[in-house]
Amino acid sequence: MAEAQKKIFVVDDDNMFATMLADHLEEQGRYTVSNYGTGEACLEHLGEKPDVIILDYYLDSNVPGAKNGLAILQAIHKAAPAQKVIMLSSQEHYGVALQTIASGAVSYVIKDLQSFKEIDSILAEL
Amino acid sequence: MNTTPAALALKLSRMDMFQSIPEPILQELAQKSGIVRKQAGETVFLKNEPGRSFYLLLEGSAKVHDDDYTVAQMTAGSCFGELALLDEGPRSMSVTANEPTLLARIDREVFFEVLGDYPEVMQKIVGLLTRRLRYQTDQTLEQLRRREEELTRLVDERTTELMRQKEEAEFQRAKAEAEKQEAEYQRRRAEQSERFEQQFLANMSHEIRTPMNAVVGMTNLLLQKNPRPDQLRYLDSIRQSSDALLVILNDILDISKIQAGRLELEWTELRAAEILEQVMTTLQFRAEEKGLEFRVECDPAIPPVLTGDPVRLQQILINLAGNAVKFTEKGQVTVSAQALSTTGTGCRMLFEVRDTGIGMTPDQLAIVFESFRQASGETTRKYGGTGLGLSISKQLVELFGGRIEVESAPGAGSVFRFEISLEKGVAQSKSETTAAEAAETLRGLRILLAEDNAFNRVVAVETLELLIPDVRVCAVENGREALEQVQAMPFDVVLMDVSMPVMDGLEATRAIRALDGPAGAIPVIAFTASVTKQEVTKCLSTGMNACVPKPFKEAELIGALMDIVIRNRRQPTAETPESGPAANPDPPPASGVSLDFLEQLTGGNQARIRKYLGMYLESASGSLSKMEAALAANDHDALHRAVHTIKPQLRMIGLVETADLAQEIETQVLEDSDPASLPEKVNRLLDAVRRSVAAFKQYLQEMKDS
Repeated sequence: MAEAQKKIFVVDDDNMFATMLADHLEEQGRYTVSNYGTGEACLEHLGEKPDVIILDYYLDSNVPGAKNGLAILQAIHKAAPAQKVIMLSSQEHYGVALQTIASGAVSYVIKDLQSFKEIDSILAEL
Repeated sequence: MNTTPAALALKLSRMDMFQSIPEPILQELAQKSGIVRKQAGETVFLKNEPGRSFYLLLEGSAKVHDDDYTVAQMTAGSCFGELALLDEGPRSMSVTANEPTLLARIDREVFFEVLGDYPEVMQKIVGLLTRRLRYQTDQTLEQLRRREEELTRLVDERTTELMRQKEEAEFQRAKAEAEKQEAEYQRRRAEQSERFEQQFLANMSHEIRTPMNAVVGMTNLLLQKNPRPDQLRYLDSIRQSSDALLVILNDILDISKIQAGRLELEWTELRAAEILEQVMTTLQFRAEEKGLEFRVECDPAIPPVLTGDPVRLQQILINLAGNAVKFTEKGQVTVSAQALSTTGTGCRMLFEVRDTGIGMTPDQLAIVFESFRQASGETTRKYGGTGLGLSISKQLVELFGGRIEVESAPGAGSVFRFEISLEKGVAQSKSETTAAEAAETLRGLRILLAEDNAFNRVVAVETLELLIPDVRVCAVENGREALEQVQAMPFDVVLMDVSMPVMDGLEATRAIRALDGPAGAIPVIAFTASVTKQEVTKCLSTGMNACVPKPFKEAELIGALMDIVIRNRRQPTAETPESGPAANPDPPPASGVSLDFLEQLTGGNQARIRKYLGMYLESASGSLSKMEAALAANDHDALHRAVHTIKPQLRMIGLVETADLAQEIETQVLEDSDPASLPEKVNRLLDAVRRSVAAFKQYLQEMKDS
C-alpha cells in the first residue's frame, strides 16, 4: 500500500534553492511540498499541520524586516511544541547551528551540494 | 358495598368536617348525594376543570396528581374536593381511579341547599374548610417546594456528574498532553545528548587517533631502519599493541554509531573473492603462529562483482574469523562463501566461519552477541578484546539485511553463519596500479604539508619520502604558514591537517581558494583525525578535494594523491607544463562552470536544469545590482545580505569557487577584517557573477537552438 504523503513546508527566501529542494522532494513521490518566502507566511499556515518544516536561517533578503529563522523557529514551537523543524543555512558557524539545535531544531543543514542528500536522510529518519 | 343513605350518612358522620352536624342533616345530605363508579385509569376530575363537587372515596383507590406527578394516594375513607364547597374556581390537581372505585359525590348546590337552614353549622364547616384551605395551600406549596428541590437536586447531581466527567476528561487530556510534552522533551533531550555524545566521540577519536598516528607511523619508520633483532621484537610488540588499540577504538566508535542508528552501509562495488582473500591475508599469519590451518573457500558461482559495503563485510568476517583463531588451539579455521541462489540481478549467499576450538555452553551462546559481554571475566584476561566484536558483527549483518546464527557445543568448535542477498554490481574500470607504478606516477611530486603535531609531521614527511621517489615535502606548522607558503612557491598538492592552532585547515583552505592564479586552485587533501561524515562533508564544502583519515594508511594516502595528480594532468595548469596534453572529454557549457551537480540532482532532466538556470539568472541580476549599490554606498550590512543571498545559489549552480569567494567576503564583512581588500574582492565576485550570467544565457540559447 502506498504510504501517505508527508507534508513538508520549505521556508526560504532563496527562491531558486527552495524550488530545487521542493522539486527534489516532490520527485520522490513521498512528499507534498509548500514553499513560503517568509517565516510569517509559514506561521499563517501552521494550522495545516505539516510533518516537517525546513526553515532557512536568513529570511529577509526580499522582505526587509522579516524575522530571521531563529525567531520563526521559536514562534513555531510556541504554537506547536512538537513541530519538527530542520534548519537550513549557508551559515557555517558552529554557534549558529548549536543555537538552533538548542532551540529545538531537529537538525541543521548547511546549504551546499550535499544538502539534498542530507535532507533526504534526515527526513527518512524522522 | 352498602350505598344506602343511612350507610352513607354514617360514613359522613365520621369525617371531622361533618362532626357535630345533627343526624337529620347528614341523612338529607346522604340522600341528595350521588354515587359515582370509576374504572381503573378513569378520571374523577381533571386539573383546571371548574369544580363544584366534594367526593368521598367509598371503595377502591385513586391518585391525586399533577399531570404525571402523583401528589397523594387516596384509599377508602379519604375525601377530596372539600374546597369545591367554598370555591367555584378550577381544581389544582386531577384525580384518577387506580382500580374500579366507588365514590360519593356531594354537589355544591346540594350542600348549600341542605345547610342553608343551619347557619351555625354552615359557619363551623366553612371555618373548618378555611383552615384546611390554608393548611392545604401550605402543603401544596411545601410539596411544590419539595418537588422543585428534588428537581434542583437531580439537575445538580446530573450537572455535577457531567462536570465530573468533563473534568475527568479534561484532566485526562491535560495529563496525556503533559505526558506527551514530557516524552517530547525527553526525546529531544535524548537526541541532544546523543548529538553531544557524537561530538564527544568524534573528539575522543581525534584525541586518541592523533597520538596513535605518531605511534603507528614512527614504529613503521623504525621498522624500516634495519633494527637489531631485539629492537625488532620491541617494535613488533609496539605495532601489535597499537593495532589492537586501534581496533578497540574503532569498535567503540562503531558500537556507539550503531546504537545511535547512525551507522550506514556504503553501496559500492563489492567483490566477495577479494574480501575473503583479504581476510586470509589478515589472519593467516596469526593462525599459522598457533599452528592452525586457515582456509578460505569462495564459491565460483558467486558473481564476481556485487553491490554492497566491502569494508563492513570484511569487518564482519575478520571479526568472526579472528575470534575463531583466538579460541582455537588446534585444528583449523575455515571461512567460506557459498552462492545459495543467483538471479539475473542478484545473489543470495551463505557465509560461514567454522572452527575446531573450545566451543561454547548453551549459557554462553545465549549472551554471545550482547555488547560488553564475554563468556567470562576469565576470557577477557586470557583472550583480551573489548567484547564488542560479535555484537558489532551481528548488527552489521542486520544492516546487510541478514541474521547471524551460531551453532556450538563445548569442545566441539563453533560455526557462525549468516545469509545475505546482494545485488549484482557493475565492474568499474578501475585502473589497477601497483605501488611501483604509483610511485613512478608520483615521482618528483611537490607537497606542502601543514601539520601542527611535530611527531605526526615527522611521520608524514618520512613516509612520503619512503613511498615516493624524489618527493619534495615542505612542512609547515599551521594554516597561516601554509597560506604564505603556497604563495611563495609552487606545489602540486597540499596535505592539510584540519585542526591546527593560529589558522585551522578549513580557514586556510578558504583563504587559498580565494587566491588569484594557480595557487588558488591547488589541490588540498584534508588530513584529519575526525572521521565523522559531517567532518568530511565540511572539509569538502570548504573547497578541499579529498580527505584522508589519520592515522593514515599508506594506500589511502597514495590513492588520494594519485587521484589528484591524475586529474590535474588531465587539466594541466600553467605550473605543470610537463604533464600530459589537455584533453577534457566533456567540456562544461561555460568556462569555469560545472553542471555536474545539477545533472546529478535532476537525473539529467534538462527542463529542470533550464528552470533552475533561469531562476539563477533572474536572482543574479537582482543580486548584482544590490551588491553594486552596497559597494558604492560602502553599506556593509546590505553587502553582507546580498552576498549571503547569492552564495548558496552559486554553489548549487556549480560555481563553487565563486561561492567560496562569496563566503570569504561574507566572513570578512561579518568580522570586519581587512576592509581595504574588500572592494577588490567584491569586484572580483561581481565580475565572476556577470561572466556566469553571460555564459548561462549563451548556454540556454544554445540549448534552445539545438
